[in-house]
Amino acid sequence: MDVVDPRPVLAPLLSFACAALVFAVGESVFWRRFWTFLAAGAKLLVVLSMLPGTLAGTVYVSHVVTFTPGVSIALRADAYGMFFALVSSTLWVLTTVYAIGYMRGDKDRVRFFGFFALCVSTTVGIAFAENLLTFFLFYETLTICTYPLVVHAETPQALRAGRIYLTYTLLGGGFALIGSVMTLDLAGTLTLSQHGVFAADTPTLALAAVFVALVLGFGVKAAIMPLHGWLPIAMVAPTPVSALLHAVAVVKVGAFGVTRVIYNVFGAEQLQTLGFAPPLALLAGFTILAGSVLAIRQDHLKRRLAYSTISQLSYILLGAALLTPLGALAAIMHVANQAFAKITMFFVVGAIAKETGKTHVSELAGIATRMPWSMAAFTVAALSFVGLPLFAGFTTKWYLALGALQADAWWFVVVMLASSFLNAAYWFPILHLAYFRAPEAPTDGANDARGGAGAGHPHRWETSKTLLVPIVICAAYVVLLGVTAEVPGMPTSVAVVAVERSFGLEAPLP
Amino acid sequence: MTTLGSTLLPWLVALPLVGAALVPIVARHDARRAGGLTFAVALATTALASILVAQLASQGPFSADLGGWTAPYGIELRFDRFAAWTMPLAALFAFVIPFSWRYLDGTLPRERWAPFYALLLLNLGGLLGFSVTGDLFNLFVTMEVVSLSSYALVAVAGRGVAAWAALKYLLLGAVSSLLVLFAVGLLFALTGSLNLADVSARLAAAEPSGAALLALASLAVAFLVKAAVFPLHVWLPDAHAIAPSPVSAVLSGLVVKVGIVGLLRVLQLAAGTGIALEPLNAVLMVLGATAIVMGAFLAIFQDDIKLMLAYSTISNIGYIVLGIGLASPFALIGAFVHVFNHALIKVTLFLAAGAIIHQTGYRTLSDLHGVARRMPQTAAAMAIGAVSIVGLPPTAGFVCKWYIALGAFEADQGGYGFALVFGALFIFVYYVRMLDAFFFRAPVRPEVAAAVEAPWSMRAPVLVLAAACLVLGVLGGIPIGFVEPAVVDLLAALGR
Repeated sequence: MDVVDPRPVLAPLLSFACAALVFAVGESVFWRRFWTFLAAGAKLLVVLSMLPGTLAGTVYVSHVVTFTPGVSIALRADAYGMFFALVSSTLWVLTTVYAIGYMRGDKDRVRFFGFFALCVSTTVGIAFAENLLTFFLFYETLTICTYPLVVHAETPQALRAGRIYLTYTLLGGGFALIGSVMTLDLAGTLTLSQHGVFAADTPTLALAAVFVALVLGFGVKAAIMPLHGWLPIAMVAPTPVSALLHAVAVVKVGAFGVTRVIYNVFGAEQLQTLGFAPPLALLAGFTILAGSVLAIRQDHLKRRLAYSTISQLSYILLGAALLTPLGALAAIMHVANQAFAKITMFFVVGAIAKETGKTHVSELAGIATRMPWSMAAFTVAALSFVGLPLFAGFTTKWYLALGALQADAWWFVVVMLASSFLNAAYWFPILHLAYFRAPEAPTDGANDARGGAGAGHPHRWETSKTLLVPIVICAAYVVLLGVTAEVPGMPTSVAVVAVERSFGLEAPLP
Repeated sequence: MTTLGSTLLPWLVALPLVGAALVPIVARHDARRAGGLTFAVALATTALASILVAQLASQGPFSADLGGWTAPYGIELRFDRFAAWTMPLAALFAFVIPFSWRYLDGTLPRERWAPFYALLLLNLGGLLGFSVTGDLFNLFVTMEVVSLSSYALVAVAGRGVAAWAALKYLLLGAVSSLLVLFAVGLLFALTGSLNLADVSARLAAAEPSGAALLALASLAVAFLVKAAVFPLHVWLPDAHAIAPSPVSAVLSGLVVKVGIVGLLRVLQLAAGTGIALEPLNAVLMVLGATAIVMGAFLAIFQDDIKLMLAYSTISNIGYIVLGIGLASPFALIGAFVHVFNHALIKVTLFLAAGAIIHQTGYRTLSDLHGVARRMPQTAAAMAIGAVSIVGLPPTAGFVCKWYIALGAFEADQGGYGFALVFGALFIFVYYVRMLDAFFFRAPVRPEVAAAVEAPWSMRAPVLVLAAACLVLGVLGGIPIGFVEPAVVDLLAALGR
């Protein structure tokens, strides 16, 4: 049941206003933090206030402006959008705390936190986009707002990474635009509120073109191979930005977009007849394995994390492309599961670099004695990625496997098992080094550390509280998501409602 | 019938022309008064234009007959929706003039201020006259007023290069003017009338003839030169880059639009005559798509920021011409909305660039590294303009790109949709270079490192215009709703 309500538009708008104030009064440390927090906090509160309604089946809608009939800016908080908004707003509060600690003493903080807050609002705008135009609007705004964050260091390397990032994402945006325009031309509507918009007699060739354009467009940000090139390079950004790119906003927005295309532009039923999904599923399966294989070879910690992200994101795409209720459930849940685990890892890696200047796997011997809590959190996240029961990642793999069997695609179960082994192959060596090897004698090991050695505090226990608290909370979420369906603010029931109502599939067994 | 609209309409053109005559007299003793008077005239003209637009919105298109002679024999001024949508261009003048007050300090000797402002007002009068004229001869006259004042404004900076640029501009402009005059003569010989609507009706009544075709083709080519459509653009980059920045803004944002409005008048003229427009449209599509890509390509090699902006005008005119050529409802809507939106964006960019050049003394990217640290507001306006001109949302440029791309698919010309979308991204290549240099690099020049923000009389217009670029992106439906009836009428007349 759709209810007109200002809240879907209020959530991004409040954050936009706060972001503007960060730019305006950001020179003062207090006010910069105040408005940054308010941007994150206000949005989370607005989103949470809609949660009971969502669970009861209410969908809040607000129309902003209409250009011409069928072309409008409108926001609609359906269950899937709500799930994504919940994940990103919860993580945003934590990332903000972490970023304040991490960026202490860094340069150009007004610009950094201003654009950081802008990203908050655009992400929730994407989650609530009622139609492809609104989606595209926020999608491109996000690209622009993340650019200054990626090049924050202003080194030639960072500028190069920024250019590559823009090239990939804007070309993707171009395809998304073409796809949207073609959708409007063929279907006469851009809405994402239905389970498929195309009439049954639309020419298959035209539909194939739309599908390819939209999946290419959003797949770039989802880093599906071979469109993943920008992600490892963008690792030069400060760690909170990497967390933002990898877990909260950018890549998730891409995966979110692809699922919207599958279930709301085409619809499971029509896609089943057209047969466009299996190639996408194969590509996702390939990306899962190839990303993991490449991750093993990376010695640079953040690059290893980047390839792991590439691999993990394709779980979402694979789950969605199976077109079965359980597969879809796995896809939705993995949005949260991957986000919390990956952000934990990024936070830990950032804290290690900040404290000790170590940025490579090979330097991590004995790090667990120096930073026991952080490494415990890292361990939790690693186990989740491997897919051990009682951790978040297991639920995804479980439902994904069931979903694959529902679709009679048993070979994806094999892919997932292989992926688990590969995950073990690149996470366990880190744990082994950290826990079972004595620390090397102090060297100048921080040779290529940015924000590194000089800033470290060799004798402090663990790391500063602003870094540690978000790490521990995120790790706690990874466990919670694995053991209970009633995670505060993010219950599995939202995902179930999303499968049922947003995707139009039969309710899966919870 | 005399209405408020038809009474006021002649004053829309007369006011700036009278103002232009008064400026040198008022400024005889104190050159600074010229700027004030010009601003007052521009504001009054803008107010008058708003009244006229309000009249049009309430009671539809209206005409005024000069000197009491009725059409088709007298001189008719006609205010339709196409003319109305060019009225906001006058408002842009009201932003350019306060900007130029301080800009002229140190750029132009005092004794040239009065002629400078007089020429600007002449230019404005010519532009408005061109939009509202109802007969062919005045189409030619007002076009010449615009062109001649533009040549002079390019040359006003007075250095050797400026004279060269002005001469090149004048030579190509003269060819275009001759073509228009030739066509006007031909059409008069064929139909015995000069009134646009009357000529169109008489052409429709007569057998389609080669002579009529030749006349319309000459008009089209002439206006394509005026619009600087690639490859007829060679006069534009130098002229627009050499001129003082306020003039560059006027030339690049407004004056090239004479060609576009003229092209639309050709379409109106051809409507109902039975002359097939498909060949013209096919040519326009190819030219438009080529212009988008070539404008972007040539801009990549420029280091001078004003030259970069000038080349992006060529690309943007490409959008508009492509939209006209596609000739589907959405494409025409997008193209015509872009006539104003591009003007807004380009004026923003040129004024922001002017402020930066004025404050630092440098105009090349390599010299201007790090300028955003010292001039954050101006640089932010420049960034908004850059994002807007590429057509990324949520900006004024996006609305037009969206509709033209939609129009391409509507016309079953999806390939041109691709050319538009990815050609536009090509444009971003050099704007990214600019933003990188301004925002993310350390200053190399001491003057840049010590620069201060421009005075408020320069900064305020830039900031307001940049904000307008964003507002028109979100509220893009308003201009679209305004232009739509005119496009529907035109397409109906063209038999589509």
